[in-house]
Amino acid sequence: MNPSRRRFLGSVGRAAAGSAAVSLLGAPAILRADAPKARVVVVGGGYGGAIAAKYLKLADPELRVTLIERNPVYVSCPLSNEVLAGERDIESLTFDYRGLSRRGIAVMGDEIVEIDPEQRFVRGKGGARYNYDKLILSPGVSFDFSTIDGMSAELADSRFPHAWKAGPQTLLLRKQLEAMPDGGVCAIVAPPNPFRCPPGPYERAAQIALYLSHHKPKSKVMIYDAKDAFSKQGLFQAAWKEHYGDMIEWVPAAAGGNIEAIDPDSMTLVGPVEDFEADVINLIPPQRAAELAVNNDLVDASGWCPVNQQTFESTLHSDIHVIGDAAMAGAMPKSGYSANSQGKVCAMAVAAAINGQSAPVPSYVNTCYSILAPDHGISVAGVYELKDGEIVSVPGAGGLSAADADARTRAIEVQFAIGWYRNITADMFT
Amino acid sequence: MLAMLLASFAFSAQAEGVRSAAMLSHTCAGCHGTDGASAGEAMPTIAGMDKGYLVKILEDYKDDVRPSTIMGRIMRGYSDQEIAAIASFFADRPWVSTERPIDGELAYQGELIHQQRCESCHADGGRGQDARSPRLAGQWGPYIQYALETCRARGESCKKRQGAERVMVLEDTEIQALAHYYESQK
Repeated sequence: MNPSRRRFLGSVGRAAAGSAAVSLLGAPAILRADAPKARVVVVGGGYGGAIAAKYLKLADPELRVTLIERNPVYVSCPLSNEVLAGERDIESLTFDYRGLSRRGIAVMGDEIVEIDPEQRFVRGKGGARYNYDKLILSPGVSFDFSTIDGMSAELADSRFPHAWKAGPQTLLLRKQLEAMPDGGVCAIVAPPNPFRCPPGPYERAAQIALYLSHHKPKSKVMIYDAKDAFSKQGLFQAAWKEHYGDMIEWVPAAAGGNIEAIDPDSMTLVGPVEDFEADVINLIPPQRAAELAVNNDLVDASGWCPVNQQTFESTLHSDIHVIGDAAMAGAMPKSGYSANSQGKVCAMAVAAAINGQSAPVPSYVNTCYSILAPDHGISVAGVYELKDGEIVSVPGAGGLSAADADARTRAIEVQFAIGWYRNITADMFT
Repeated sequence: MLAMLLASFAFSAQAEGVRSAAMLSHTCAGCHGTDGASAGEAMPTIAGMDKGYLVKILEDYKDDVRPSTIMGRIMRGYSDQEIAAIASFFADRPWVSTERPIDGELAYQGELIHQQRCESCHADGGRGQDARSPRLAGQWGPYIQYALETCRARGESCKKRQGAERVMVLEDTEIQALAHYYESQK
């Protein structure tokens, strides 16, 4: 930009700074570009990061907010199991960042590879440096392939997709299901706790069975689990039976379901007691915080990020906040709605700190819907508060859909699941 | 002295953990849209609704007077003071009507039903509202349809609500027509 024009805009920006009307109309960030009150950098534009960036701007329009995301578009994990069933296409799960740009957030397409907590900057893959006063990371999860012999990131991309980040692997798994013969076996390997989206593998089993029951009714869906119990278990098992008979079978760890190795050539999963052959293998590996957090000293021995649960500031580095699946957030599950709720609490805490105020008393909610058949939805809700520094469930609140709900209620929960999706994504991207 | 007492009360309330209206209300946006303006379709817009109406509805969810799939489970997590704060927050947000094409013929039929049976409380084409009657104009039609069908299906247990007797006798096609009509009114 021409320097004299820059000075001119700067003086207009200062003259207008006191005018509420201008800021209500959303004065472009450039009007304030010379002297931001503070620079907040958000890394990761998903369910947590997009929300944190937007609610920072809502909390204090004077902040210079930069959102750095490596992908030009975002593909939602929630509802991506419906892509596997052929019930929706992946375009319906895809969003861009123009809505956030219009809010005056600087959206940068870059992959952050380094964090300098002393000099307070992050560096992109190509060397670009972004200085911050406060940093918010919403980096998601990474996969630990090392616990399953024979498994690798390359095999996940090419042959045994986890499809636990929506995108190319989702489409690969869909293709494999389409190519599977009738009478084939689709194996889902479910990971140990904690992991992203606790009901996800079990909703996935239902969605795959929905597809198979119409197109390949002699097939099976086998779930080999590293656990002996799972989220909404009773509701899932009743719905599987109701809609898909004995097509879905769950093998808990206690019955030998804890997969230890894979033999790609024979398409065999190796368990502690017996081996299992399959035609399609959806191996969802054990998880930990994303590499960015692991490589920058933000995780503890558990592999997840310890944070102050009131502000989500890392307990390992000051002025760096971690939200979403990567963070250890007390009783909250690793879900999209949790990340949304944490993004808002974190944004308000960061804005308060910048303005010299004490951290606000937080409030958090989680709601997760699972769609088990076109007319059968279930949900889990949680309401949380901070007690002695820990996020805990408010006693008496939250819980599951009723076990004895009627067909009308199950059907309306599908409509609410879709409404949930429309609203939470609008909350993120508009 | 009084000021000091008030100040110390305010301080101790903060120490006990009073959560701001914005903090509480932002958690609703994941389902009801940013600032309560819903992106659709089964989720109602709650921005700009009458505060008294919101308090009543949210407390009825909490006390299970109004049956729900999920709202009861959520509202049991809040005190009555917090519910009042949430209601104030959304009552103060601007109402945002839906923007999409509506079936004109159905909307016309809905208007005839509205004029005969609903206008006395839901005045001005459903734009009017008070503590007993929610705004309907510009609301998502699928939500209105769901709410009317649910009240009708509940029968006796819904009858305490104002207007419910009139809802009981609506045919499916009349409910659909009303939903289209109200959504068409901005």
